[in-house]
Order: sequence, then structure tokens, then C-alpha cells
Amino acid sequence: MTVLGLRQLNSLADLERIRAELLSRRDPSTKSVHVCTGPGCAAKGSPKLYELFCEAAKQAGSEVQVQAKAVGCHGLCECGPIVLVQPGNIFYQRVEEPDVAEIFRETVLGGRVVKRLLYENPATGEKAETADKIPFYKLQKRIALAYNGLIDPTKITDYIAQGGYRGLGKVLSSMTSEEVISEVELAGLRGRGGGGFPTARKWRSCREADGSPKYVICNGDEGDPGAFMDRAIMEGNPHSIIEGMLIGAYAIGSEQGYIYVRNEYPLSVERLKEAIEQAKELGLLGENILGSSFFFDIRINRGGGAFVCGESTALMASLEGRPGEPRAKYVHTVESGFRGRPSNLNNVETWANVPHIINGGGQWFAGIGTEKSKGTKVFSLVGNVVNTGLVEVPMGITLRRMIDEIGGGIQDGKRFKAVQTGGPSGGCIPTEHLDTRVDFDELTKLGSMMGSGGMIVMDEDTCMVKVAKYFTNFLQKESCGKCTPCREGLSQMLYILDRITDGEGQVGDIERLEDLSEILEGTALCALGKTAANPVISTIRYFRDEYDAHILDRRCPAKECRGLFRYEIDPEACKACGICLKNCPADAITGEKKVPHVIDQKKCTLCGTCWEKCPFTAVLKV
Amino acid sequence: MYALRNMLGKMSLHRSVKGIRKGKPVPIVTIDGCKVRVKKDATVLDAAKKAGIWIPTLCYHPAISPDAVCRLCMVELDRGDWRQLITACNYPVRRDIVVYVSSEGAKQARRGVMELLLARAPESQELKALAERMGVKETRYPNVTESQRNCILCGLCVRICEEIIGQAAIGFAGRGVDRAVAAPFRQPSDDCIGCGACAAVCPVGTIKVRIHQDQQEVEISPFKSRSKLLVCEKCGAPIISTQVSERVLGKVETMSSEEFRQCIRLCPKCRKLQTAVRLQAATVYKKE
Repeated sequence: MTVLGLRQLNSLADLERIRAELLSRRDPSTKSVHVCTGPGCAAKGSPKLYELFCEAAKQAGSEVQVQAKAVGCHGLCECGPIVLVQPGNIFYQRVEEPDVAEIFRETVLGGRVVKRLLYENPATGEKAETADKIPFYKLQKRIALAYNGLIDPTKITDYIAQGGYRGLGKVLSSMTSEEVISEVELAGLRGRGGGGFPTARKWRSCREADGSPKYVICNGDEGDPGAFMDRAIMEGNPHSIIEGMLIGAYAIGSEQGYIYVRNEYPLSVERLKEAIEQAKELGLLGENILGSSFFFDIRINRGGGAFVCGESTALMASLEGRPGEPRAKYVHTVESGFRGRPSNLNNVETWANVPHIINGGGQWFAGIGTEKSKGTKVFSLVGNVVNTGLVEVPMGITLRRMIDEIGGGIQDGKRFKAVQTGGPSGGCIPTEHLDTRVDFDELTKLGSMMGSGGMIVMDEDTCMVKVAKYFTNFLQKESCGKCTPCREGLSQMLYILDRITDGEGQVGDIERLEDLSEILEGTALCALGKTAANPVISTIRYFRDEYDAHILDRRCPAKECRGLFRYEIDPEACKACGICLKNCPADAITGEKKVPHVIDQKKCTLCGTCWEKCPFTAVLKV
Repeated sequence: MYALRNMLGKMSLHRSVKGIRKGKPVPIVTIDGCKVRVKKDATVLDAAKKAGIWIPTLCYHPAISPDAVCRLCMVELDRGDWRQLITACNYPVRRDIVVYVSSEGAKQARRGVMELLLARAPESQELKALAERMGVKETRYPNVTESQRNCILCGLCVRICEEIIGQAAIGFAGRGVDRAVAAPFRQPSDDCIGCGACAAVCPVGTIKVRIHQDQQEVEISPFKSRSKLLVCEKCGAPIISTQVSERVLGKVETMSSEEFRQCIRLCPKCRKLQTAVRLQAATVYKKE
């Protein structure tokens, strides 16, 4: 940090002075190019784009100041890689390597917009120059993700210039720990990891618990399939987590914090490490933070990739170096958690919200959202939706608006069938409940849950029994096997679901599944087991007819379960090209030139090769 | 009888009020209508024992800290407008609570867990006997998970080896349905001292102590760990594993008399004989 000429910060005044200095040092004529290096864009090659922009900036000469920045996830991953050009906030999407020179020449140097790379509204054909004109962003409200895309996550100076660590300064200079907790209580912040437990109540219990030292833990073990909310925050704005933890530690009276990150997120680990080092150099972590008597340090622990380690007690066991298995929570972790000491665990997103609550005030935060669920929630919107990506919406928005307006509807003009919320232990919500407002309690009422924010949209071609089987299989594989109901019950459920999707379902299987679900819910040890039946229960509740079709008629209505539908050739669509005939491994297709082909159902093994190969979609599933 | 219990309950209530004044609250647990007082942080199972009410358990042992993994001891806790299923073996009593052992909900939960266990280990006689006592005749479920010799993964062996013996020679390997009790890398372990505590606590008889007379070794099966046996210096009968005897001798070092060392080298039978000789009653003993 000495490179930047920053010394240790000894007071709030120091922090403000540095911020003013950083802002004044900014040349208003400097042009900057923000390249998204979030997981989605990075997979599409954005790091290379960043390098190219850096090179171009170097060669630009001295007459124009150009700066290239690698920033965190913008959210609209479907249209990645995303490049933002300042000034003007011009939003380019699907940028490829050859486009770099054009963007640089036209927009950065020339100030003209490259129309070709702008986002086009598929409904109206209108081009959007800036992000706020894109429907995907219009309904969003960004709090936890506010600085994602604005700051370089590897530079603490960027975070400070944006107003970072101001909340910490405010807390240390003018608030008591009780005042901090009251502010969070006023905000009505609830845990974003899935449980939705009031954060302030947890903090207070931990503060009042006997025993020391007390620990503050950040849960970054994001394991839901298709979820990347926490990852985006850890990689896009790691300092917000550190600041949140600092404020929490001050309120609770803790001196040691841990961030538990899954090892599959190496970049998150790297970014957090860098951020912690930088914060230490500036005296924002360690002893006498900002000249006060407050002491706090953070260590990073990497998880081994077990899904169950996202459960608080299993996470703490793993932190202690023991196998990541949960224990009974009759004595709460705020009383006896990590190493048997009072421990306060919150999710990445919860921590990232805390600085904003302190800065903006609890009243402001409580003004957003519904009566019992305040603020915003980050969702990873994935599945058969047009705009997949990361969205942060105020609580209380309806599922329909999220899917139709933000998500842009269903891909390929198909019909919506269900949305699965809350990760693998969540439930599937059908069309008739699309106008439900998204908040903790409403989703629970529908037999699903908020979870950590996974949202998988499914179209009409999805077999709900298969979906239930997929999640049951995932949970059965990820069950630690410690308690009987979860280990044995999930295996029994999977056995029945396998039978149903194989067309061997028996009358009474639905009731058997319901019985097992009841046992799991009532007797399993941890939340993973207690909620593991949700996918099965919710699909039975809303799509019982599909189960019946599988069991009674030996038919898969969505035509996904192999063996429960036939392939037939539409004689009108068939051009008699012979591709299916040549590719059929069972020689089940017969036909001659100019004569529509026919599948011999007796020979057909239902492999689906003809369906895949037919260029005229003449092979149908019936 | 019930009236008497009630009266006792009231008396104990009165006493507990007195107790609070002294700064030592004594919570009252009402189990199926029967009131008992227990020490703070005692478990519901402790209270049930005191009340003379049987709750089936598998992974519980009074010498070992409870882990609540078998989930067989489910009882219902009165939460006012709803009832919560809890495990009796590790639920700490911190205030006055009301629990139901023989309510329909609790019975149903225990029955469900038992049926799952029976599906896992259908051949275990011990499990069948316990099921019968609970009134569970058979299981509705097929056998879909593999168990090693009817092991129900209660973990008593793992916990006794770590907590009481202090060796931690065995632990859990694998996850989910692949979970199994094993020594590291499923190889014979040097940490195993052949004490047989795991076999003693195993509720379904999965773990067995095997004596190999010819090699004078003891094997803890199925972990394949072997230890040399100490044989009686007089008659040659096996006594205990050498490592266990060393441990015992290590613990009684303070009273290290050569005599004690002599004693432990004899099997119980020979030791009795020796003592009898010392007491000059050898003839009497022989006659018997």
C-alpha cells in the first residue's frame, strides 16, 4: 500500500482525508473501461479482453488518460462478457476479442457508441445505451451488489473512494455496541443464508452469552447447484464482507473472525486474502482499528466441498478440523459453537448488507421490502429463462415479474411450468402461484423456501418427477450419513423415485413418499435432512397428476423419462433424407427415397438418436 | 398411584421454588403426566429414567456423551400451540418442560426410524428384539443400503474409542450411504490396543473380538487390527492384550508393587488359586 502513499489510518478523520484525497486525485477527463471478470464473463474469455484493454490503454499515449479495470459480476451473465465505458456508462454486451479495438477507437477515444454491441430489447428491438435502460436492471435494487461492477476488487482504495469503511468509522467513533445492534434490529435484517433468522437477535444472544473469546464467522460455503450469489460478492467486493464482519464483531465483542470459503472458489479465496492483507496494512484490521481500542482479525478457512458444511454446526466442526458433520442445536451456536465458545455465524450476503445499514440507517433499509422481510435479496436466476444471471431485487416482488420482466420470459417461446427456489431443499412453485410475493414467509407457505437465493426456472418440457429425483439424488449423495432418517430415508425415497421414472411405479408409491417425507421432516438431525423432502413434497402437491401418469399410465407427460414415451416420425414433416435411418443403432427405421420413414416400435430401443439427428424435427416424442 | 404422583409433583414444585431462592433452579420435567425433578442440564432421557418410563435407545450409553444419531429416542416436546419432536438422549432440561413419550406423534416417529433401521439391517437379532419391544413387527421398506454385518452406524464404538479409551483408532469413513466405521485407510491400525471396548458397546453385535489361540493374538473384527495377547504364566490361557495390560500397569504406577505385576500375569482363575494358597486354604479350595 506504500505504493499508493497511504499510511496507517488512525482515526475516522484519517479515513475521510484519504477518501477526499483519492477523489481529488481522480482526473475527471480520465476515461475508464470496466471489464466484468465475474464467473460468467470470465468463462467466456473476459480476462483476455481486460488484458487487451490494458495494452490499448498503455499505447494510447499521454494526451488521453485511459484506465482499464477488472470488476466483479454485473449480473447479466447471459449476455457476457460485459464491458462498461466511462464516462457515459455505456453498456456493451457479448464483447469479443476483435471488438476491443473498435470499442477503444470509437467509444474511448472518439466518444461514439458502437451500436452493434449494445443490448437489444428482444420485444421492442430498442437498443439500450446504458444499463438502467435494460429491462433486466430496471426492477432491480442493488444494495449488497451495489459496488459490484464499479470497483476493482483488488484495490482497497477503490472501495474507500466509494465510501467504504465509512460505516466502520461511524460505528467506532460514535456508536455503542447496543446502538449498532438496535440499528440492525430497526433495519429488520434477516439471515440471507436460508434460515431467515433475525440477525440482530442472533448478535444480541451472542453478545449476552457467557464465555470468551467470542467468534464471528462468515459462511461462504455456497453449495447449491446453480447458485453464485456469494461468489459474486466475495469476488466482486470482498471489502464489504470484511467491513460487515468488523461491525458485527464490534457489536458482539469478538476479536477473531473466520471466513469459511469452499475450496472450489479459488478466486474468492485469493480476493479475500488480498483484501484482508490490504485492510491490515491500512490498520483496518488488527490492533487499534482507526485509533480505537477495538481489535479484530480475520482468518480464511477453505472447505473441502461438502454441501452439508454450509450448515452452521457442520461448518464449525469443519473449522475445528473435525469431519464436517452437524450436531444437535438444542444448545445454540451463539452460546456454544466454534471450539465450544459463543459464535455468531452469518452468510456472506448478510455481512455485505451490514455496512449499508449503518451508512443508510435502519429506517432506510426497513423501508424496502415487505412487512416481515426487509431489504433486498440476491437471486441467481437460472434455468430455461432468457436472461440468466445474478439479480438483486427488493423483497416482495412477485415471482412473475422476476421471471417475465427481469428474466425476459421463457427461452424459445415455451410455456412456463415451475420455478424451483431455495436450492436443492427448496420446493417447486407452479404457474398458479406466480403472483406470490417473494419473501421468507410467503415462500415457506408454498412449501418452498427462500434458501440462499437459487432460482431455477423450468419450462413445459420438464418432467417434475425427474426434477424431484434429481434433487433427491443430490441430497442423498451430499448427506453426511450421520443420522438414520437422512441416510436411510433419502435412499428409500430415491429408490421409489427411480422406480417411478423407470416406469415401474406401484400404486401407493406416492403415499410411501409422503410417509418418508414426514419421517425426514420430523426426525432428521439437521436442516439438510429436515428439508430434504421439500422437492418431493412440493412436486407431489402441485404436480400429482404427473406422478399418477407415470405410475398408472406408464407415461411421462413431459416426455423426459426414457421408456415412458415413444418416438414416431411425422410423415408430413419427413423429407426422407435418410439421416435417422443411417444413424439408428438398432436398425429400427425403415424407408426409401421420397417415402416418409417409419420407426419399428418393436425394434426401437428409445435411445433418441433419430430425434437428435433429424434436421427437420420430423421425429416426435409421443 | 396417579394421585400420589401428582402430589409428589406439587411437593417438588414447592421445593423447586425454594431451590430458586438459593440460586439453584431445579427444573421439573413432566413426562406423560409424571413429574420429576432433575438437575439443570440433565437430559430428557435422564428424567424419563427417573420417572421409570422406558424410551428406546441405540446410540446412547451412559458412559459416553450423547450424539443423537440413531434418532430412535424421539419424544414430543410441548411448545404451547405445537409439539416439537426432540431426541431425549441429548435434549438438555433448562427450565420446566412437558414431554410426551407415548403420544401418537412420538410413537409414529420412533416407529418410522425403527423401520428404516430394520430395512438397513434386516438380519440383526438385537434390532429385531428391540423393535418387538417397541411394538414394531416388520418394516415396510426394502433393503436398499448396504450395511457391514448389520452395522447401524450408531457410532458408539467410535465414541468409546475416542472418549473413554483415548485411542481414536477407528472413525467414520465415507459419506452418506457409503459411511462405514473403519480404521484409517481400512487397514489394520497400530493405534488399536485390542481392548475390545468397541465390541462391548456395539448394540447389534457387528464388532467381535476374535481370539487366535495359535498365534496368541486378539483380533478386533471387522477392523482387522491384531494385538498380542498376554497369556497366563501358569496355565497359558489368554487374559488380555499386552497393550491393555501395559496401559493398566501404567495407570497404577503409583502403587507399583511387584506383587501387583505378578497378579496381572495370571489369569483370574490362577489368581484365585494363588490367593487361596496364600491364605493357606488351598486344600479347602481344592475340595470344592
